[in-house]
Amino acid sequence: MPNTNTNNVTQAVLRIRIWYGLLLLVVAIFGARLFYVQVIRYDHYKTAALGGQLKQYEIPATRGTIKAYNGSEVLPVVLNQQLYTLYADPVYIKNADVVAAKIVPIVGGDAGKYAKQLKTKKTRYVVLAKKLTPEQKDKIAKLKYPGLGTQAQNYRTYPQSTLASQVLGFVNDSGTGKYGIEQALNKELTGKPGELKAITDVSGVPLAASKDNIRIAPQNGKDLILTIDLAMQQQMETILKQSVKDTKASGASALIMDPRTGAVKALANLPTYDPAKYFDVEDAKVFGNAAVAHPIEIGSIMKPLTTAAALDQGVIGPTTTYYDPASWKVDEFKITNIEEDGGSGTRSIADILNLSLNTGATWELMQMGGGEINTKARNAWYSYMADHFRFGKETGIEQGYEDPGFVPEPKDNGAGIDLTYANTTFGQAMTATPIQFAGALSAVVNGGTYYQPHLIDKTVDGNGNTTPTKPKVLKAGAVSAKTSAAMIPLMEYVVKKHNFSPAFDQNAYSVGGKTGTAQISKPGGGYYDNLFNGTYAGFVGGDQAQYVIVVFVDKPTNGGYAGTAAAQPIFGKLAHMLINDSYVTPKRQ
Amino acid sequence: MTYSSSLATNRTRYGGRNQNSVSFRAQTRVLGPVSNTIILIVLACLLGLLYLTQVTKTNAYGYQINGLQQQQTKLQTQHDDLEVASARLQALSRTQDSTVAKGLVSVAPTATVQN
Repeated sequence: MPNTNTNNVTQAVLRIRIWYGLLLLVVAIFGARLFYVQVIRYDHYKTAALGGQLKQYEIPATRGTIKAYNGSEVLPVVLNQQLYTLYADPVYIKNADVVAAKIVPIVGGDAGKYAKQLKTKKTRYVVLAKKLTPEQKDKIAKLKYPGLGTQAQNYRTYPQSTLASQVLGFVNDSGTGKYGIEQALNKELTGKPGELKAITDVSGVPLAASKDNIRIAPQNGKDLILTIDLAMQQQMETILKQSVKDTKASGASALIMDPRTGAVKALANLPTYDPAKYFDVEDAKVFGNAAVAHPIEIGSIMKPLTTAAALDQGVIGPTTTYYDPASWKVDEFKITNIEEDGGSGTRSIADILNLSLNTGATWELMQMGGGEINTKARNAWYSYMADHFRFGKETGIEQGYEDPGFVPEPKDNGAGIDLTYANTTFGQAMTATPIQFAGALSAVVNGGTYYQPHLIDKTVDGNGNTTPTKPKVLKAGAVSAKTSAAMIPLMEYVVKKHNFSPAFDQNAYSVGGKTGTAQISKPGGGYYDNLFNGTYAGFVGGDQAQYVIVVFVDKPTNGGYAGTAAAQPIFGKLAHMLINDSYVTPKRQ
Repeated sequence: MTYSSSLATNRTRYGGRNQNSVSFRAQTRVLGPVSNTIILIVLACLLGLLYLTQVTKTNAYGYQINGLQQQQTKLQTQHDDLEVASARLQALSRTQDSTVAKGLVSVAPTATVQN
């Protein structure tokens, strides 16, 4: 018996030891596996775990709005609005014709086109309509068609419709500003997106308890307040539209600038477009702000600047007279005047402007060279064109695609440089944009300071801090105050002598100007015989020039000289509008 | 040595003859290892429960925050829509086309006021 008991105990101990050993083995396996998972593969499993839980979102910044003045009031001209894109997954559309017929009353459009899109096998994402309102979106949702959905998207919206469209530009589907202010100040308007990095639940809601959550708030884009006066802009566009129709022109540009600051108060071009429907535009040329981006040979509106340069150099005086032979031979070519200006005779500086004498402007260039067109004359005139009046250089106005234009170098290139330079005195053989010319003329009539043309009056950041734009002097002493003072009556004289209807009350207001009719250059060289541009540049004010107006009419076909027949009436209407609407402070008598 | 003789010896050691002495020794209760383990496990569970309660409570705020943010977004959208509607009502073209504006007559100033 004792032996039996002993054997039983021994077997029991053995069983226990075996189980104990197995237990230890299992524990060891678990331990080894845990060590492998938690230590050796730590990074892998951590990444895998966070991949499911850690979500990273970009918090989009709100694009800045654009506003403009209406008197002292500020009205929005570009706002953001959340609208909806209607899309479909054709795989889930059971009866395309029925679905198409149901959505037409809600979003408009053609049922046949929708049905065709809904039946496509090429893609699983078709966009049926854009810019749906919240109400339209709700109606679509009520249809409860599988495969039909709406997606929210931020759009730019234009409460003032097409007003100042080329100044504003537009924002494409990628959210990038194109043309106008939207392009030039895209960075400022866009802002900086924020970031949200958080452990989320299965539905993507951030769990607040995670200490590793990161939330960086977005920096919204800056709001811009333009220098544009909306009422002035509206009237300018109405006047321009009617004038283009009357003159059967291809297009037109006009701008009004405050010469005392360089602030652009109105700027319009025709043809124009609706920035809310930029995708419908067929000719991309209309996107450009022609007054800034399309340099032209400006024609005889250059003569006041030639005169100012000669006066400023002291080579002529405001009352100087000279003998005009009615033609000059330069580089074997004859420079002449239009027939109506008469033949040779004694002429004054006022006559050069009033009769628009090409020979007179050429004579002024000669005076810069001591009596002939030579290197001295060319260098002197080039200095005024390029440095004083800043032609051939961008003004830096807040617009996309600004073009600097062209001013020929004064050195003798063996290709008739004297003739070229004679031509520049009356605005040919060089190009400039209306905005450049407005800047230069402003300097001539404001006492001699070239202010940078600008369109932004104030910027407002996301915290509501307002930064006003200070007028920036690009060239002090473009002409002397004495020259500037002399130019005012000379240009007033031109207006007095031209038949404006109705006439201006020069006792109460100071109105001066100059017409320009420029031949249009051919792409291969030379000029068209029957195509002209009409230009007009002038100012309106009281005791001082308060507004500079530049008008450009593209190929008018209403007869007469383009400057006088097409551009001058627009200047007249704009000047009267400024006076009648009390934008101009009259003279103190 | 018997138990009684042992007591006698002890009394002798701490007191004299005929002198009564009172000795009190508190009975120490010592928990066994099983109890200790169970208590530790319960405490750990309580701490874990407390932690989970707090985490859940905090995470619940996350849902509140999310709800409020959605509400903020919705209100912002409504605000933007109203701003657009307001701006459209003030549009110059709308004013220009209004019945009142169409009834107005353009009058150029016949004289200027001098200061």
